[in-house]
Amino acid sequence: MDLTEEEKRILEGEEGEPKRISIRILKRIGEIKGADRFIPIASAHLVGCSYQIAGEAGIEIYKKLAEQGARVSVPTTLDPGSIDFERWREFKTPEEYAERQIIIGDLLEKMGVIPLWTCTPYYLLNVPLFGQDLAWSESSAVVFVNSVIGARTNRMSAYVDLCASILGKVPRFGLHLPEERRGEILVELDRELSDLFSDVHFPVLGYLIGQIAEDKIPVIAGIKKANFDQLKAFSAAAASTGSAALCHIVGITPEAPSSERAFSGRDPVKRIRVGINEMRKMMESMSTYDGGEVDVVGIGCPHASIDQIRRYAELLRGRKIKESVELWICTNEMVEKMARRMSYIDTIERAGGKMMVGTCLNDCPLSKWNFRYLVTDSGKFAYYTPTTVGTKCYFTTTKACIEAAIKGRIERE
Amino acid sequence: MKLRLKGRGCSSGVVKGEAIVSERPFGFWQGIDPKTGFVIDQRHDLFGESITGKIFVFPYGRGSTGTPGIFIEAVRNHVAPAGIVNVHSEPMIIVCALLAEEFYGVKIPVVDGFELNHLKEIRTGDRVGINGESGEIEIL
Repeated sequence: MDLTEEEKRILEGEEGEPKRISIRILKRIGEIKGADRFIPIASAHLVGCSYQIAGEAGIEIYKKLAEQGARVSVPTTLDPGSIDFERWREFKTPEEYAERQIIIGDLLEKMGVIPLWTCTPYYLLNVPLFGQDLAWSESSAVVFVNSVIGARTNRMSAYVDLCASILGKVPRFGLHLPEERRGEILVELDRELSDLFSDVHFPVLGYLIGQIAEDKIPVIAGIKKANFDQLKAFSAAAASTGSAALCHIVGITPEAPSSERAFSGRDPVKRIRVGINEMRKMMESMSTYDGGEVDVVGIGCPHASIDQIRRYAELLRGRKIKESVELWICTNEMVEKMARRMSYIDTIERAGGKMMVGTCLNDCPLSKWNFRYLVTDSGKFAYYTPTTVGTKCYFTTTKACIEAAIKGRIERE
Repeated sequence: MKLRLKGRGCSSGVVKGEAIVSERPFGFWQGIDPKTGFVIDQRHDLFGESITGKIFVFPYGRGSTGTPGIFIEAVRNHVAPAGIVNVHSEPMIIVCALLAEEFYGVKIPVVDGFELNHLKEIRTGDRVGINGESGEIEIL
């Protein structure tokens, strides 16, 4: 890689140990991936901030970097942590576990991060622009900002995201290059599916795309309209089942006004048609039990937006969830504060629901609850909770999730 | 020696060990328990197996970008694999090895650039040597 004079000085350690370590690791990745040089980034978003992911090694690494005076050099937000910082006792988090998470937060805050603790920083406080180069890790957010906003980030990962944030640069390769962002596989929704495509189809299609795209960039034709919440659900599911980082959605992705433009004149290497039957089969496969009992309903993955919380409150107004069932809604501190002011949370709490803030069911230790049956409307929860929470999982619509919490049962439709 | 293949070296280190092979992509977050080195992903064909001290052969990394967090915790707990062989290594897999060396002084060679068909020559239980600098692997 060609280094500037300044970068050479950093590599020699003249700007301190954190920057030297950062440029050394990023340069090596750049060399392996054929990068020609470093490019500046507009922002970073870190995943190694949860104790569940970082563990004791994370504390050691962050402590070392913080003691060496590490500072982030671009706006940098944090992914969910492993505890609800206000109410971890209510979620039966062991005290010694909560303490370890709080240490990680303190160390990262010393470096100047924005402690937003969310997987959806693109809704607020870290909002990228089209064409900006970024260093983001959270896999669902990577798909979102590449595919919906047209910002440019590779799938960064724990620690290397912090290296990029400290340096303020990334090696230029992969999705930072326009020619590496071209579509490779064409996924066409048939007309019948395209006409009725709605909320629940987004995570199901994402789940399917993640599986069929493997490591190729898909181009999806046939989605006529979509909102932020739907695209967030799609992005999270696609990133869970595969290693997708960019999905062109024709008519939505700024680089894909047409499928021809998404492929930049090349032919697709593969064409796949998806209809109602494929979607129905995929949706069934996302559940690991046939319905019946429910112990916990988990929604807000990725973190719920204010409009989703409004909808949950509407569905719960004047109703009571079954005593034997937990209903947990995951979001971040900023959205929670606003939803409380708008009295949505009052409605939700009166009905017996709980807000889970700055964390989620995938990141928080929940073994003390002994949950066996979980219901969700999230493709990402559907994929991971059988391992993270250790439950059977039933995937369904948002409305059916709320009904399941009220009835204490879920019936296959 | 039965077979020698030449790929690309992604991180330094030379090791020999027992191979553990999957034809399916692998994600470390919720893929392994970083305290024990056992595979905990019930959907994966290696579920219940240990990767500790082995040469872990899989096509490419997938899933959560928390991978290096889990991997380095496994290194700290002495339950990480001894080496990795991929069809192509995602940057986050290479990062695992670079961080292990930078922060824990442990060298875990990562070698990629093979056809999936070639990797099928390696069977679980084979004794394999890999060189993270030259990119060579051999079945012993």
